[in-house]
Order: sequence, then structure tokens, then C-alpha cells
Amino acid sequence: MASKLAVSNLDAWYGAQQVLYAISLELPDRATTAIIGPSGCGKSTFLRCLNRLHEEVPGARTAGEIRLDGDDLARLDPVLVRCRVGMVFQKPTPFPNLSIFENVAAGLRLLGVRRAEELDEGVVDALRDAALWEEVEDKLDAPPSSLSGGQQQRLCIARALAVRPEVLLLDEPCSALDPIATAKVEALLAKLRDEYTLVIVTHNLAQATRVADHTAFFYLGKLVEFGSTEQVFKAPAEKLTENYVNGRFG
Amino acid sequence: MTAGGPALGRRVARLRRLGGAFRAGTLAAAAIVVALVVALAGLLLLESIPSIDRWGLGFFTDPAFSAVPVIVGTLLTSALALLIAVPISLGVAIFAAELAPRWLRTPLAWMVDLGAAIPSVVYGFWALVVVSPWMARTGEPALAHLTGGTGPFSGLPLGEDYLTASLILAIMIVPTISALSREALLGVPRAPREAALCLGGTRWDATRLSVLRPAAPGILGAIMLGLGRAIGETIAVALVIGNIYQLPTSLFSQGGTIPSILVNEFGGAFGLQQSELIELGLVLFAMSFAINLLARLLIRRAQRETGRGGWFSRRRRRGVPAPDPVGTNLRDPLDRPLWWSRVEAGRPRAVRRRRVVYLIALVLVVGATAAAVYPLASLIGTAVQQGGAAVVTPSFYTSTPPPYCLETNASTHCPLGGIGPALQGTLILIALASVVAVPVGLLTGIYLSEYARRRTSQLLGVLVDVMVGVPSLLLGVFVFVLFLRVDPLDARSALSGAAALSLLMIPIIARATEAALRTVSVEVREAALALGFPRHRVTLRVVLGNSKSAILTANFLALGRAGGETAALVFTAGTSSYWFTSLRSPIASLGPLIYDNLTIASAPNWTIDAWGAALVLLLIMAAVSLAARLVLRADRTPGSV
Ligand SMILES: Nc1ncnc2c1ncn2[C@@H]1O[C@H](COP(=O)(O)OP(=O)(O)OP(=O)(O)O)[C@@H](O)[C@H]1O
Ligand SMILES: [Mg+2]
Repeated sequence: MASKLAVSNLDAWYGAQQVLYAISLELPDRATTAIIGPSGCGKSTFLRCLNRLHEEVPGARTAGEIRLDGDDLARLDPVLVRCRVGMVFQKPTPFPNLSIFENVAAGLRLLGVRRAEELDEGVVDALRDAALWEEVEDKLDAPPSSLSGGQQQRLCIARALAVRPEVLLLDEPCSALDPIATAKVEALLAKLRDEYTLVIVTHNLAQATRVADHTAFFYLGKLVEFGSTEQVFKAPAEKLTENYVNGRFG
Repeated sequence: MTAGGPALGRRVARLRRLGGAFRAGTLAAAAIVVALVVALAGLLLLESIPSIDRWGLGFFTDPAFSAVPVIVGTLLTSALALLIAVPISLGVAIFAAELAPRWLRTPLAWMVDLGAAIPSVVYGFWALVVVSPWMARTGEPALAHLTGGTGPFSGLPLGEDYLTASLILAIMIVPTISALSREALLGVPRAPREAALCLGGTRWDATRLSVLRPAAPGILGAIMLGLGRAIGETIAVALVIGNIYQLPTSLFSQGGTIPSILVNEFGGAFGLQQSELIELGLVLFAMSFAINLLARLLIRRAQRETGRGGWFSRRRRRGVPAPDPVGTNLRDPLDRPLWWSRVEAGRPRAVRRRRVVYLIALVLVVGATAAAVYPLASLIGTAVQQGGAAVVTPSFYTSTPPPYCLETNASTHCPLGGIGPALQGTLILIALASVVAVPVGLLTGIYLSEYARRRTSQLLGVLVDVMVGVPSLLLGVFVFVLFLRVDPLDARSALSGAAALSLLMIPIIARATEAALRTVSVEVREAALALGFPRHRVTLRVVLGNSKSAILTANFLALGRAGGETAALVFTAGTSSYWFTSLRSPIASLGPLIYDNLTIASAPNWTIDAWGAALVLLLIMAAVSLAARLVLRADRTPGSV
């Protein structure tokens, strides 16, 4: 199985505080990987290393190596890396001063798409994929603040999908969503699974078993276990993992 | 509880009385501020009546006495200054808040804050000695050469004209606009910024998409404040514009602005002429009032555009395809439109293009920053070079100004003298002014944020802002004519000067206190109230306690402002070369000392004395803004919030 992103010996710091220790794992191509672990164990930080967003935090740095399709990430242009590796954050982050339409179109415009028909098509497709189209079809020119939190989150997913990244990083994308919207997002992830490399951080273990082919368990900045979702949940190799997936955890 | 019965009742009653008294105190302070603004406008109007009777509308049209040239001069110089200053300030703010490397941000912020705090008399001094000659020799001839010496660039370049005045104004307001715009940019939530990066944007794209528009109302406010400052600027303009009543025929013409004419002529004027000048002052007051209202209107509009504040972009796209009749769920997310392959192939090129745009933006903002910092560096350099020797001489702080001395080799043969009386006078004036201004300002600020109802608070806020915006020169004029009416002998005295300074300080302290108090969250207040603290105790202990360093900083900045003030003191405190004698006679102070040295034919050793005074003021401002930074930084460290 080819790996899309190969991480080896990744350390990460915020200032003097080290938060990731020698993480090594290979994220398989065109498959979904879930990252689970208790709060503060470095899941978001790990995700942010994968598209070089971590380095934008003042004082933050990394060591180790990440390869995207075999190329050293550190040697690639970070802007191009982020075109190829998209991200959706835990909290909705729409651009407050762009209309709903322009929020989704923003990435396309950055890619140099200018023609109105192409923008329209790209935006509408992305909104449909994110299961938001029917709710915003009549208010494309409204500000995103007129949407509910869950709708805003799907808007952000649509915004990320519009530029069709190869890898999509999702940091607890459903934590602000109701069960119906969550189901819609999961259905979307299921469809994307065959074509995209997805990495999803989640605190919802049931969700991990539903959407992910592989699961990585992080604890205190270290990778404890990585394997197929079935193996990690049914027959964990480590005691820590077993405790965590069975909910026996302080 | 049961045991406490009557004792508790008494205690509650006492607390309630205390609370009532405290509240009444804040209300009284707010009433004083209202009364001051009303009195200011009323007295100016009253004193203008002879002139209004004499000239009527002819004041604005009659060629025999025409206010038109100075009104035009005021508007022209301010507009031109804004034209130069706004792009530069935006560049500085964007660089300092968004694009500059981290290590550069703090020194840059400090430099900009310092620039905003440097007294206008120091800017004026530098302008007269450095900028004006440079404009006459190099700047203006070059412009005339480039444009063929026609239209706005015709005439003899003297370096003492509208263009030089506008340039100085621009240099002065750039730090103010930059500092406030920077704060507006930094106040925008960071998360959408990262989202823009994750879409494949450069840092500039992130700024453009997620920061600039939300910060627009704040930036607008900064620009309007800069405009207000430019309209009312007195000393620096008066030193380089020529101060004559003459409509400009070119930017190289000499002319005047309302404040520059006032500061030059008001001191020696009486009768009708005095009334005419006061009417000019009234016009200036109306202008600053109008700017204030306009600013409110514009900012309100900008904020209304979205719930979150800031302008909102619709950019209506054309013809969205009709909704898919088959329904959402049947679209396969893996289906790509035909044009996608083209876009995907063009991705590296698009990224390169983004990088080029980023580079251009970077060059522009770095250029703007250089343009803003260069004058400050030149000013500081000149002051250090000219006044450095004086500042390190201990006797400089303890002696009186030197006698007039015209030796050719000034530094060796003429005595240096010192600024002892001016330093003493400034300290006395500041102390006197603070006695009134600090309590009134603080209590007004508390009233604004804690007690006033929404509408009252808004109205009072407008008045305080008007007072902040009133050119300090007008404060001086107001106090002077007020004292003339009460007791003419006191019109030029330490008392009168201190009164003018306290008028300057009150609104600054009030606004800053209000702003600081408002940052204390509702939850903290409610938690304290829920614990049973009476309201005034909550205000005093919890709210004030939580924001004391911000308030302290505001007081320091207000003191600094008063310490370097000149325009408000020229008519009120007067000038003196001697040590303090009585509160009822003129008193020396630093700003007027420098200004006098420049306007009266000056001996070389006087000039050195003045540069020493300017450098002392600079050092004080540097210390104040550095202290403000440190205090606020210590306050912002996590844990204390
Ligand atoms: N900007 C930052 N500056 C300093 N330390 C940070 C920063 N962001 C995160 N940390 C620290 O890094 C560690 C890992 O944080 P991270 O956000 O990666 O955890 P997480 O696993 O995503 O947690 P959660 O499940 O709560 O989102 C934490 O201890 C946190 O305190
Ligand atoms: Mg997280």
C-alpha cells in the first residue's frame, strides 16, 4: 500500500515546550485515518505539521521528516503544500467579511479561476458536497454570520473542498454539529474516502470506527499505536490503547 | 445572619449611603465635563459676537477682512497631509501587525508609539531647522523640475509654504494613524487567517482576506483622528507656513491656517481683532466637531455592514446554475468539471503569481515603513546631535536660560545656561493640572462605563470625544478669555496654564479609563455582584483592580502629553526666564521655552538651550511610552487575566 504522507521521527515544539515526540507513521493514500487520544496530547499539533501550518505559530518549530508523495515537505513551497493539503478546523472559521459565495470562491480565486461560470460551478459543487447547498441556495450573498454554527462548519468544509486538495485534514470537524449534520458530514467522508487521503481527529470513538480505515492513538505527545481501525479497537496491542478505547481513562 | 440583625441592617444602610455618594461623585465629574464643553462653545460664541455683528457673512466673503484664505489653508494642508499619510500609515500598520518578522515588531511598535507621543513643538523645531531648508534647496526645486514648474508646483520654492506645512503634518500624523490602525489589525480574530493560509494563500492573502476588512472601522477611526489632529495642529505649522492671509496660487505659496494665524496674532490682539480671531477659533471648533460626527457616522456604517464589524463584500456573481433537480445526494463528489484539469495543471503557476503579489505587497509596506521611520530617526538624530551636550551637563537642569549672546563661536564663549525654571514650571503645571484632571477624568470614565445608561453614555461619549478632538490651542484661548472675564490679572499665570492643561488631560484620562474598564468582562462583575458585594465596591475593587495598569498607563500618557504641550500654554502660562514666584504670575515651561526661542530672533546659545529642552522632552516621551509598553505587557501575561 502506497503512503501519501510518510512521517518519520517528528518532534514539535511551542517555544521551549515539546509537544510531539518522535512520531513515525505512514498515512496510506486514498484512505481515511483517524487520530484519537485524550485532550492536549498533540493531535491538532500533529495535523498542523502535515501542512506546515505549525511553523506559522510564533516560536514554534519541528524536527524530523515528512514526505508528501515521496518529496520532503520542508523543501516544498509551503503555499503549494497547503494547496495540496487542505484543512478544516475545530471551530468554524469563515471569513467574516466575505459573503457565503465568496467564502467558498476564495480558494478558487487564489488558484486563478476567474470565469464566472467556472466559479459558479465550483462553488455550487462544493456546497453540494458539503451538504449545505439546499440551506444556503437563497442566501449566497449573505454574510456567514447569518448561518448557524453547524452550517458555518459545513461552509468551511465546502471552502476546503472547492480547491480539491489531495489530502484533507479535519480537526474535530463535527464537534460543533448536531447529529443530522454529523451524519451528513460522515456520508460525505465516506464518498471522499476512495479518492482523497483524509486525516480526521475525533473524540468520538464511534465516529472513528464508522469513517476510518486506520486509527492512530496518541498519548502525551507520543504515538502509542497505529493500525487498522478494526485492530486498534478490537485487539489493541497496547494496554494504554485498550484502556482508552474502552473508556477506562482518567 | 440572625444574630447580626440590627447591626447588619446598619451596615447595609451605610454601604448603600457610601455607594450613593460614590455614584454621585462620578455623576458630578461627568457633569463637569458636559459643562466644560458647553462653556467652551458658549464662550467662544459670546466672544465672537462683535465680529459677527461687524462682518456677518462677510466674514467668509468680504475682501476687506477675509477668513477664507486661512480656512482654505487649513483644509488644504490637512487634506494634503492625509493624502500623504494614509497610504504610508496603512503600510506601516500592515507591516507591524502582519508581515514583519517577529523580532522587528516590538521595536517598530515602540518607535511608532514614540512618534505619536513626540510633542508638536519638537516636530516644529526639527521642521524649521531640517525640513524647511531641505525643501527649499532640494525637495521643491526637484518637484518644480519634474513638473516643469507649472500649476501647483509653480513659483519660487522657499521651503516655507503649504507644501512644507502639509509634509510636516503628514509626518506628525503618520505615527498616530499607524499606531491605532495597528491596534485595529491586531484586534481581528486570528483563526480565519490560518484558514486563508490553508487554502493556499500567502501571508498577504491571509491579511487581505481575513484581516483588512474586519479592521476597517478601526482604521477609519484612526484616519479621522489623524485628520482631527492635522486640522488643529498649531505650533509645527506656524513655524513653516509663513502665516500670512493669502489664498494659495501654488503649493509653494506662503499662507496660513486657522491655528497658525491664531497663535501668532491672538497674543497681541484686543477689541474687534480679538473677536475676529475668536470667531476663527469658533470655525475651527466647528470643523473638529464636524470631523468627530462624520467619523462616528462612517464608523457606524462600516460596522453595520456585517454583524461582526467591517465592510462586507458581496461581489455578486453572475447566473448561478439552476438548482440540480436530481437533488444533492446524487452528486458524486468525485466528479470534476472539465475545466478543473486546467486549473490543477496551473497550480504551480498560480502559486508563483501569489508569491509575486506577496513580494510586491511586502516591498510597498516596507517602503512605507521606511518612509515613516526615516523622519523620526532624523528628528531624534538631530536632537541628540544638537542637544546631547546640554543634556549631559548637570547644571543644564538647574540654571536659568543664558543671557543673549552673539559670540561667533557660541559653544566656547557663550554660557550654556539651562532650563531649570522651565523644568520646575512644567512640573508645577502638571502637578496642579493633575489635581483636578486625574479625579475628574477617572470618575468620568467610571461613570461612562459603569453607571451611565446606554443613551446617556453615548451622548456623554460624544462630548468627551469632542473634547479630545478640540485643538489644544482652543483650550488655551478658552481659558485665557475666561480668566480675562474673571480677573484679567490671572489670565497669564500658572493657574491659568494649569487650567488649560487639565482641560487637555481630562478627556484623555476619561476615555482611556472607560476603555480599560470595559475590558473587564461581564462575568467577573456579575460573579462579584453575586457574592453580595455592593456595586461601588465591585467597581472600586474588582473592576478598577483588574484594569489598574491600563488606567495608570493612560494617566502617564496624559501627563506626557501635558508635559510637552505648547499651544495651550502660549497664552495662558505665558513665558518667563525666572524661577517660580507665584501661582498668579506667568510661569516658565518647556514647550513655550522652545517655541519662544524659535520665534524670537535667537542667539546660538539659546538655540542650543532649546535643543537641550527638546531632547529632554524626547527622553521623557521615550521613557513614558516604554513604561506604558512594559506595564501593559506585564498585565497581558497569562495568569493575571
Ligand atoms: N499555540 C500554542 N502555544 C503553546 N502551546 C500550545 C499551543 N497550542 C497547543 N499547545 C500545547 O501543545 C499541547 C498539544 O496541544 P494540541 O492542541 O495539539 O492538543 P490536542 O490533542 O489537539 O487537544 P484537544 O483534543 O483538546 O484539541 C498542549 O499541551 C497545549 O498546551
Ligand atoms: Mg485539538
